[in-house]
Amino acid sequence: MKTYISVFRMRLRMETQYRGAILGGIVCQVFFGLILIAVYRALYAGKPQSLPLSHVTAYVWLQQAFFRMLLSSDAELMDKIRTGGIAYDLCRPVYLYGFYYMRIMAQKLMGSLLRAFPMLVFAALLPEGWGISLPASLPALLLSLTALLLGLCCVCAMENITMAFTMRTLDPRGFQAMLNLLMMILSGNILPLTLFPDSWQRVITLLPYAQMLDAPIRLYTGEYVLAQAPGVLLLQAGWTVLLILAGMMLWRRNQDRLIIQGG
Amino acid sequence: MNTLRLYLRSMGILLKSQLQYPLSFLLQTLAQLIMEGGEMLAVVLLVDRFDHLNQWSAGDLYFFFGLMSVTFYITECFGRGITGNFPSMVRTGQLDTLLIRPRGILTQVLCSAVDPRRITCIAVGTVSLILGSRMSRVDWTAANILLLAESIFCGFWLILGLFLIEAILCIHSVKSVEIANALTYGGRSACQYPVDAFPRSFRTLFTVIAPFALVMHVPASRILGKPIFGWPAWAAWISPLSGFVLFAVMVLLFAKAMRFYRSTGS
Repeated sequence: MKTYISVFRMRLRMETQYRGAILGGIVCQVFFGLILIAVYRALYAGKPQSLPLSHVTAYVWLQQAFFRMLLSSDAELMDKIRTGGIAYDLCRPVYLYGFYYMRIMAQKLMGSLLRAFPMLVFAALLPEGWGISLPASLPALLLSLTALLLGLCCVCAMENITMAFTMRTLDPRGFQAMLNLLMMILSGNILPLTLFPDSWQRVITLLPYAQMLDAPIRLYTGEYVLAQAPGVLLLQAGWTVLLILAGMMLWRRNQDRLIIQGG
Repeated sequence: MNTLRLYLRSMGILLKSQLQYPLSFLLQTLAQLIMEGGEMLAVVLLVDRFDHLNQWSAGDLYFFFGLMSVTFYITECFGRGITGNFPSMVRTGQLDTLLIRPRGILTQVLCSAVDPRRITCIAVGTVSLILGSRMSRVDWTAANILLLAESIFCGFWLILGLFLIEAILCIHSVKSVEIANALTYGGRSACQYPVDAFPRSFRTLFTVIAPFALVMHVPASRILGKPIFGWPAWAAWISPLSGFVLFAVMVLLFAKAMRFYRSTGS
């Protein structure tokens, strides 16, 4: 266990190194958030919906703030697979799946926390109708934080599966890019899932992609009431366990028929 | 003329090299389709829920989306050298080899890359344009077709000019400066909707500084028969030229920045 924790801590420290890049990323993300909200505001002015505008703005800001949690593939790890550097990792006396899981988790956790804090503070300072509103209640906040943690576990499990596919095809730009794009759409980054047609939402919210950020956000805004929370958390945990098992299986299969690239 | 022949020739060579790995190419092209399809899906779903945006009907919104998407991805396809590869050329010192050849730097950079995977994005945009013009009953007179062509052509130079900002910053800082993307990708995201949907500050930004509104929205709204800003007909023909102006300014700044270029030496 100690090994995995130290990998985790090392990656955490890595992520804090490029502060200039982080600042640039935050400015971009804030700009995108403002653009999206401006569009939704104009649309709402024409035809108000039963879903309050403040829920939509909170959705947009939380999605922008935790953008890095969804989409930050470990370029170094991809390179290792492509160049054959992964052979060194295979020699380590560790369980490879756990080793990479921790590595990815640290990167996603630190990457998103460093960005989320300043962005959410900024969003909270914006005027009414633009910024992020307070959570529905204190229990809702705590539940949504729990859900966010589960979502993080879920997204890391998903990333490990993507990585396993990369080991097969060696080119991260085809199949993996498709999986990532599918994730952007189905996790609510391009358009809040709450604005999808109601009949679609019944299916989409059950998919693993909705467990990553959509579920925590809905708990935060009160879209999911407290009584629904146990079911939501259970669904998240269920998908996480399933995806981890699937990922472990894929990695084992990959190790059996591994071809190391080049010298 | 010579330069044009050189350009076409390098495009041919690059295309051939990209098609060496057909499966990978096909998958990447498909990934692009999902990406742009997802963007269009967002617009379709929003239209489904909200019906209209200010005075713009569903068809108008598809038209605006299609115009932006076609223009932006034509730029990313043919301007790949600037929109994608330039920062790494500076970082790796690859740019040095271009300095010793008897052609302009920008010409060579443009000749160095093409991105045919974007074809699916352009296709999605085209579908959206046709769908939008059908739904809004656009009268395709010769003038309207010409105006659309002008808008796309000028839009190409506008977006290329905006991407040059990143290139210029990159010459000074070596690292790729992602913050410059706010204007290009942000501009795309914002201006796939008509500019009058935005509050004043955004409107100013996208009219005066990055004139997407002048290049795309003024002519497009004229084609749709609902001119924005209340401008007369001739304005729709003049205003897209601002794309050229921006590009020209950026080329001058680029040339100036190149004087400060210091090779990374690697």
